[in-house]
Amino acid sequence: MSDPVLSIRNLTIDYIGATTDFRAVRNVSFDIAKGEFFGLAGESGCGKSTIAFAISRLHRPPALIRSGSQILLNGRDVLALDDAALKELRWREVAMVFQSAMNSLNPVLTIEHQFYDVLKTHTGMSRPAARARAAELLALVDIPADRLSAYPHQLSGGMRQRVVIAICLALNPKLLIMDEPTTALDVVVQREILERIHKLRQELGFSVLFITHDLALMVQVSDRIGIMLEGELVEVNDAQAIYRNPQHDYTRKLWASIPRLTGARIAEGATP
Amino acid sequence: MKLLAQLLHNRKALVGVAILATVILVAIFAPLLTEYSPTQRVGRPHQPPSADHLLGTTRLGYDVFTRLLYGARISLAVGFGAGLLITVIGTVLGIIAGYKGGVVDEVITFLTNMVLVIPNLPLLLVLAAFIGQASPLVIAVILGFTSWAWGVRVTRSETLSIRQRDFVKSAEMLGEPGWRIMAFEIFPNLISIVGINFIGSVLFAVITEATLEFLGLGDPNTVSWGIMLYNAQNASALSVGAWWDILTPCVALAVLGLGLALINFAIDEIANPRLRTGGMLARWTGLIRRGEGKL
Amino acid sequence: MAFLLRRVVFYLAAFVAAATINFFLPRLMPGDPIQKMFAGAGSDLSLENLNALKLTFGFIDAPIGEQYLAYLRSVFTGDLGRSVRFFPLPVTDLLGRALIWTVGLVGTATIIAFTIGTLLGVMAAWRRGTRFDTVISLASIFSSSVPAVVVSLITLFAFGYTLGWFPNGYAADPMLDPSWGWEYIASVLYHGTLPMLTMVIVLTGGFAVTMRNNMINLLGEDYIVMGRAKGLSDQGVMLWYAARNALLPTVSALAISLGAVLGGSLVTEVVFNYPGMGNTLYQAILARDYPVIQGALLIMTAAMLVANFVVDLSYVLLDPRLKRA
Repeated sequence: MSDPVLSIRNLTIDYIGATTDFRAVRNVSFDIAKGEFFGLAGESGCGKSTIAFAISRLHRPPALIRSGSQILLNGRDVLALDDAALKELRWREVAMVFQSAMNSLNPVLTIEHQFYDVLKTHTGMSRPAARARAAELLALVDIPADRLSAYPHQLSGGMRQRVVIAICLALNPKLLIMDEPTTALDVVVQREILERIHKLRQELGFSVLFITHDLALMVQVSDRIGIMLEGELVEVNDAQAIYRNPQHDYTRKLWASIPRLTGARIAEGATP
Repeated sequence: MKLLAQLLHNRKALVGVAILATVILVAIFAPLLTEYSPTQRVGRPHQPPSADHLLGTTRLGYDVFTRLLYGARISLAVGFGAGLLITVIGTVLGIIAGYKGGVVDEVITFLTNMVLVIPNLPLLLVLAAFIGQASPLVIAVILGFTSWAWGVRVTRSETLSIRQRDFVKSAEMLGEPGWRIMAFEIFPNLISIVGINFIGSVLFAVITEATLEFLGLGDPNTVSWGIMLYNAQNASALSVGAWWDILTPCVALAVLGLGLALINFAIDEIANPRLRTGGMLARWTGLIRRGEGKL
Repeated sequence: MAFLLRRVVFYLAAFVAAATINFFLPRLMPGDPIQKMFAGAGSDLSLENLNALKLTFGFIDAPIGEQYLAYLRSVFTGDLGRSVRFFPLPVTDLLGRALIWTVGLVGTATIIAFTIGTLLGVMAAWRRGTRFDTVISLASIFSSSVPAVVVSLITLFAFGYTLGWFPNGYAADPMLDPSWGWEYIASVLYHGTLPMLTMVIVLTGGFAVTMRNNMINLLGEDYIVMGRAKGLSDQGVMLWYAARNALLPTVSALAISLGAVLGGSLVTEVVFNYPGMGNTLYQAILARDYPVIQGALLIMTAAMLVANFVVDLSYVLLDPRLKRA
């Protein structure tokens, strides 16, 4: 793959314990191309989110990214960056939608403030300018500008997740990480959010790293898919290949665990 | 049991338990550790510390060290007695309020909030003033019946969340009676809250008993740390320079308080893994230093 | 608004409860309550004055229900009777003077301790596991466990008697007349330093531990990780994302600890012979001046309720979820 947006090589991450370590990610390598929608699937606890956190270096002790690991973002070595450069890179190049839609906005700040702080930090934008830009971004996700003065608890779960997506787009990032972004939402809202991401990606050209345990949903929306098992990446392939011709035993098992009827229907929907 | 095993692996808990154990041993073996009686004049008044009187004498010529050893008995007895009473009342009311809900909950919550806003120490002073000189037993009983509100509050809110769990639901489906669910399904899951409540209440009772006695509401014939403070203060120990007379019970109270607080902090750390920082962090820092990885 | 209104109704009920305790206490004790309540006055009390006092406290020739109503009526009309020790000084006058000193001492100490404690807790939580955190945590545990009586005696011994830096008692130089002049204010500050220091030492640790633990509990929340992922400055995330949210449970913990704060000030006032509510109550107990003892409980309860209401108000201001609820 020439010129990938994200290139991960030999990524190994441990959680350090008092006596022994837990290896959450074991020697994982994969690339995400420009504009690509890449899915990372596996059971909870398999290390998917640990990888996502490592990309913008969000880990806290006792997590440890072992030396020898490499994360290249647009050719830049993320693991070599100092604190200031990291802060600069965060959100500008990688933005992230978190697991719980209900809980990823700061409950005591208005929506406007949560646009303003990121715009101000990265571009030095003034308050009125940030407000205008925030209104523009909210329009992308079909939320009226008057909601800017609302607090998160005044919005529904689906709306909050759309607000988070709008905040993600504030600096035109190259990569959008979505860590189980729809788990807390009902199926209709889930679908609506994913369709919207699909559309925005075509307009704005960012790549997506989509993390979920829901393989059926993932096949529908992803270009390529990686399957993770206990910290290891056991299979990477085109979405259709993962569905029609899974290579690894574990991938087959995952499919077997999904009720056939649903699987078939989604597959029909996925191939136009 | 698991809680106890974990406590022994926590450094704060170890220090706390060591302090508490020392005070308990001193209280039990007081007669073996001193040749004097705590209630007899054994020297001239206000003698500074010496080989004969390790911590000097009071104005009445009592041996301060002896009174310190014997005084531990009352402090511990009142502390643990009142602490137990406070914890039992708080836990029972808290579980009932949280599990039963409805009117029962509203009544208990209302009472609890009421007790929380009526200032405790002034209320105790007023009660003690009407009773007259209160013996340690009376103090323990009054403390027990006026100080349970905090325990009800935390136990109730924890019960509310446990009530929603599957094992409680399934016990209900099986038709287990309410009291069995509260006693055998909910209570075992509250053990760390109950532990924190108990140790905290012991600490509160030790401090409050000493305070009430210091303020002259206790029985002056008692041998306790609070009465030692009271007598020393009445003897103007500070202004005549007999610092040993007043600082001894001060230090004893501070050390016992610290021991209990350390145990409580440790239980909190064990019950709530997020607060734990211990050994893994040291190893983590070491690995980072050696360049084996980064965040 | 509904939230605050509910609180006010509750506070009224709590105040009535305190008055009820006052009403029943003398009646539950063995012996003649009237004799006991007013004996402190000795022979100074004329029959006329005694009857007025009896009326105030509901000792009238009527069923207990009417006695109770009579007492509540006096309480709610601001008549707390007269001190039998300083007869005929009204209890409200005596306690009103004392209240000013206590509010000044407790208010200032609480604000200082809350500010320092909360900031230390925030910094310790943010750097948890570091040496800074260990030191702050241990110091806080110590500060929150050591009795106020011990701290005040040790401060008095160290800075009052031994070093002689500060006076050993009173709220101001007794030779000065109270005024708004600089000399008097300086004397008040000078005399207030040790009691204030004691209170700050006793209170700061509790606030620091509470804030630290609340904040550590929040650090794993998605919105805080998102704050960091947004590339905001460390201070920005620490203050506006973590601390700002951790402040909410800390403020409700403050409300619960107000009683302990008042208890601490009571002991401190006695040790430093500071002319506040606590010391007045203490002196009244020594002299068995029951009208003052009862009045002190009522006024301290009222002060607690007002302080609770202020905390409620600040909670409403801090938590947007309550504003429109």
